[in-house]
Amino acid sequence: MSNERKRTIGEEEEDEEDAEGIGEWERSYVDDRSWEALQEDESGLLRPIDNSAIYHAQYRRRLRLLSAAAAGTRIQKGLIRYLYIVIDFSRAAAETDFRPSRMAVMAKHVEAFIREFFDQNPLSQIGLVSIKNGIAHTLTDLGGSPESHIKALMGKLEPLGDSSLQNALELVHEHLNQVPSYGHREVLILYSALCTCDPGDIMETIQKCKKSKLRCSVIGLSAEMFICKHLCQETGGLYSVAVDEVHLKDLLLEHAPPPPAIAEFAIANLIKMGFPQRAAEGAVAICSCHKEVKIGTGYMCPRCKARVCELPTECTLCGLTLVSSPHLARSYHHLFPIAQFDEVPTVSSLNDPRRKLRKNCFGCQQSLLGAGNKPGPCVTCRKCKHYFCLDCDIYIHESLHNCPGCESIHRPKSVSLMEE
Amino acid sequence: MRKKKMIFKIEDVTVYFPYENIYPEQYEYMIELKRTLDAKGHCLLEMPTGTGKTIALLSLITSYRLSRPDSPIKLVYCTRTVHEMEKTLAELKVLHDYQVSQLGAQAKILAIGLSSRKNLCVNPKVLAAENRDSVDAACRKRTASWVRDMAVENKNVELCDYFENHEKAGENALLPPGVYTLEDLRTFGKNRGWCPYFLARHMVQFANVIVYSYQYLLDPKVAGIISKELQKESVVVFDEAHNIDNVCIEALSVSVRRVTLEGANRNLNKIRQEIDRFKATDAGRLRAEYNRLVEGLALRGDLSGTDQWLANPALPHDILKEAVPGNIRRAEHFVHVLRRLLQYLGGRLDTENVEKESPVSFVSSLNSQAGIEQKTLKFCYDRLHSLHVNPLKLQIQMNLCLFRQCATLQLLLGHMQGAFPSSLSLTTKECLIFQILYCSCHDASLAIKPVFDRFQSVVITSGTLSPIDLYPRLLSFNPVVSRSFKMSMTRDCICPMVLTRGSDQLPVSTKFDMRSDPGVVRNYGKLLVEMVSIVPDGVVCFFVSYSYMDGIIATWSETGILKEIMQQKLVFIETQDVVETTLALDNYRRACDRGRGAVFFSVARGKVAEGIDFDRHYGRLVVMYGVPFQYTLSKILLARLEYLRDTFQIKEGDFLTFDALRQAAQCVGRVIRSKADYGMMIFADKRYSRHDKRSKLPGWILSHLRDNLSTDMAIHIAREFLRKMAQPYDKAGTTMGKKTLLTQEDLDKMAETGVQDMVY
Repeated sequence: MSNERKRTIGEEEEDEEDAEGIGEWERSYVDDRSWEALQEDESGLLRPIDNSAIYHAQYRRRLRLLSAAAAGTRIQKGLIRYLYIVIDFSRAAAETDFRPSRMAVMAKHVEAFIREFFDQNPLSQIGLVSIKNGIAHTLTDLGGSPESHIKALMGKLEPLGDSSLQNALELVHEHLNQVPSYGHREVLILYSALCTCDPGDIMETIQKCKKSKLRCSVIGLSAEMFICKHLCQETGGLYSVAVDEVHLKDLLLEHAPPPPAIAEFAIANLIKMGFPQRAAEGAVAICSCHKEVKIGTGYMCPRCKARVCELPTECTLCGLTLVSSPHLARSYHHLFPIAQFDEVPTVSSLNDPRRKLRKNCFGCQQSLLGAGNKPGPCVTCRKCKHYFCLDCDIYIHESLHNCPGCESIHRPKSVSLMEE
Repeated sequence: MRKKKMIFKIEDVTVYFPYENIYPEQYEYMIELKRTLDAKGHCLLEMPTGTGKTIALLSLITSYRLSRPDSPIKLVYCTRTVHEMEKTLAELKVLHDYQVSQLGAQAKILAIGLSSRKNLCVNPKVLAAENRDSVDAACRKRTASWVRDMAVENKNVELCDYFENHEKAGENALLPPGVYTLEDLRTFGKNRGWCPYFLARHMVQFANVIVYSYQYLLDPKVAGIISKELQKESVVVFDEAHNIDNVCIEALSVSVRRVTLEGANRNLNKIRQEIDRFKATDAGRLRAEYNRLVEGLALRGDLSGTDQWLANPALPHDILKEAVPGNIRRAEHFVHVLRRLLQYLGGRLDTENVEKESPVSFVSSLNSQAGIEQKTLKFCYDRLHSLHVNPLKLQIQMNLCLFRQCATLQLLLGHMQGAFPSSLSLTTKECLIFQILYCSCHDASLAIKPVFDRFQSVVITSGTLSPIDLYPRLLSFNPVVSRSFKMSMTRDCICPMVLTRGSDQLPVSTKFDMRSDPGVVRNYGKLLVEMVSIVPDGVVCFFVSYSYMDGIIATWSETGILKEIMQQKLVFIETQDVVETTLALDNYRRACDRGRGAVFFSVARGKVAEGIDFDRHYGRLVVMYGVPFQYTLSKILLARLEYLRDTFQIKEGDFLTFDALRQAAQCVGRVIRSKADYGMMIFADKRYSRHDKRSKLPGWILSHLRDNLSTDMAIHIAREFLRKMAQPYDKAGTTMGKKTLLTQEDLDKMAETGVQDMVY
């Protein structure tokens, strides 16, 4: 290994000795150093990089953390979230260590995150704030429509000046202080700068946020900053630093599922909600959200009969929360997550009588045997004892939220009941 | 549930360790230490900072004591600063509580910290004095024996109640067993009404563990009073001892300036007046003193005990045997001698050339020009002492410390020149503003020799003692164990780099012929500009000297580099003014806390480099610009080098490199103070990649060192490193395949299989 390293360093020296006239495209590869990620096998052949095991390990770890937190008691989750996403568009966002630039990468993944967020939290709302030139700007107010946020985000891509954490927090605090008390106030900051130029004492602002129960999380793009860590510790948020683009995406998506409820808000609360009907085809009306004449599309508030374009939202006239029943249903699985699957040891189970079952994954029916007919890695459900491959494991826990094995056991019973 | 703390056996000693886990290097450290104690020898142990040296030391030595109840050893623990002393005592407290909970009352020990009056006094009137010397003076004013005698007759004389109560209690003034920090001592003293300072001094002979500063053991002037009652069966530990040779030398060196002489002259006049006054009023007392001197009676007999006015620096038994020479027996004659001496010294200071002289020739010219013999010199110090204390009962308002300095010089001259002819040299240094007379000692082993001779085991330990074979030669002793331990790390939390070239591939160095080269200055600047844009929070830069730092900052400000740096981080600069530097450091910390980010420019041999930690976010990166060699044209250094070459056969170059590299290692070691911390270190000079320099770096830095980088490569490595370090990690290191925390079970297992197959 050390030999290898020496050699690569030696090569670089040569590279950079005549580096006078290398073009920009070449420079990008020199910076990238993709060759350092290559691995050789015993015979000296290059081996494709196999990351699936690593990804699965990461996922298991995440799951373990979640289940450890949930151990024993059933956790109450904050399903109604008011989240502000703060994106740092200061000078540092123009850096090109993420390709093409930090800013573009951030925007791309925030877009994906917004969609995922509304998918998982249909009852929640998002607002966007950007930091530019030391000042925080509101891009969009709190709202439930992914499209309008994304549109506003993509229109403002241009890095400039310093960054100020305090200004951003003050602005968000002002906005979030007005939301009703049953909602969870959250801030997610994507911070690419390494310093913050503040007009006042940021410690006071942090205490203010803590007092009004703002949960602040930060995702850094370059290195760990003390103040961000402090902010997250104080307000109970998560602080993480992205290593590369894939990691950044993972870190962002970690914020999509609802966090555990804050103790003070954990008292059960009744919330008034309206379930509006879709307006008749071809009916013409002025929608209350855009003040435009629209034909056909839209929903009608059951209380004041105002027309809105999208769900979920808040009626602009009477302030009623408007949702549809699938939204509620979709939030439901967060409260009853399926248990973690057990990992199956690869060696000891050779004499297992149920070994024949392990040939195929119960989910996708693909063979579970690895190269050379050796048993590959797999997991098993604690309840139904079916085996699954790693891909299905992730899919079941993160997207499906149902175990196919358990579901197929229950079905005959219910069918027979119905027949009687 | 409370976790179980550790008990394990090292050979035949049962060790009590007050934590649930132990690092493997701590375990090894204890084994080596145990062997040293068994062999009753001295040892040198190097272990990186942040690995828990202190607790390993304390835990083993106290446990060793418990396992040998028939011959209890005493632990004398020397630290450099009061802050370190407090930390050590706090650790000891935890350990002691645990041992008592395990073994009951028999494990009880008495441990005290001893410091100056300034840190221990509880009398509010004395404490009102601003600096150390005036606190000492204020205390003496209330506690000296003649003042107290006077108070018996005159009720208006102010005394210190705490001291009086302590005196009244006499031998019964004892501390119950336990561990006392300075704060505890003060509280105890306040409650009982006993003076904590004198109580602590009194308890030194009874305590099982004493924690105090280096000077109490090394400086012969102080050691004579404080440490003379220590038994031979003691273990002496010097912590953070990488500079111990310099401490030893300082203890025996004196410098005299013009102000010193002027102060001494004023004091002499005062003494003169006092003597005249006494002559008129109380001639009998002067005569009594004279008669005693004639009898050759040692003054010590009735002086020791309560009064530590001026203590004798070295070798008191010589003097006891001889009678005081005739020409200084009478007080007025003695004052004459002193005046002549001061005049002579003043004359020497007037010179315009730099002169260097050996003590022999200095004393002989003193003899011929001022008519003062060597023998007289020897007695000056003692004579002065007796003059003050006994007959005259001088009022103590006089600031006599200036005078003391001169007196010390005389004494050193008088004594040393007989015994160690070439170990001292006198240098008159001529600067533009003032002349200084240096009397500097060149042999570090002189001051520490009594310590080695007297005590059973001496442990010298620090984070940086490389190269470890040079220390025994410098201090001339034979260690039974000398070892350097590596740090076992759960992740590679340090990232030392040697940067040899700038981004334009030109070499960088602070070598004399290159340091003013604009290309080098620009490359250094560019390095910092790039680094501040990718390193969060605090960055520290060390330069080789103040003048170099001033020069390079001026150039950077002209070329706009400083402006670029300030866009990213605030800039703070160390100056020679202590108050200014403290303020700068304070604001630097604030800027790091608030997320603004800051750069601190400092000097490798300055105050900041030695005593201030830049741990955690206060120092994510330290840049060492150049190799911090000493100023090689200094006469004192040249004389010392010559002496080292002649006496110890240490080559000049070797010593200089060693000294520079230990300084550099100290500087960069400031950023990492624990295993959970992380930091980068850049050695920006092409000379670091040469073998003779690199091999002298401590092992724990060497094992992670990346050599021969250019700026852009360093930037890339730094980026990756910072990202990697920001990720959450597994503290126990169990998943990485190497164990970095050992539990009780691990140790039990190891005891069965033998220590050798320990995973590092």
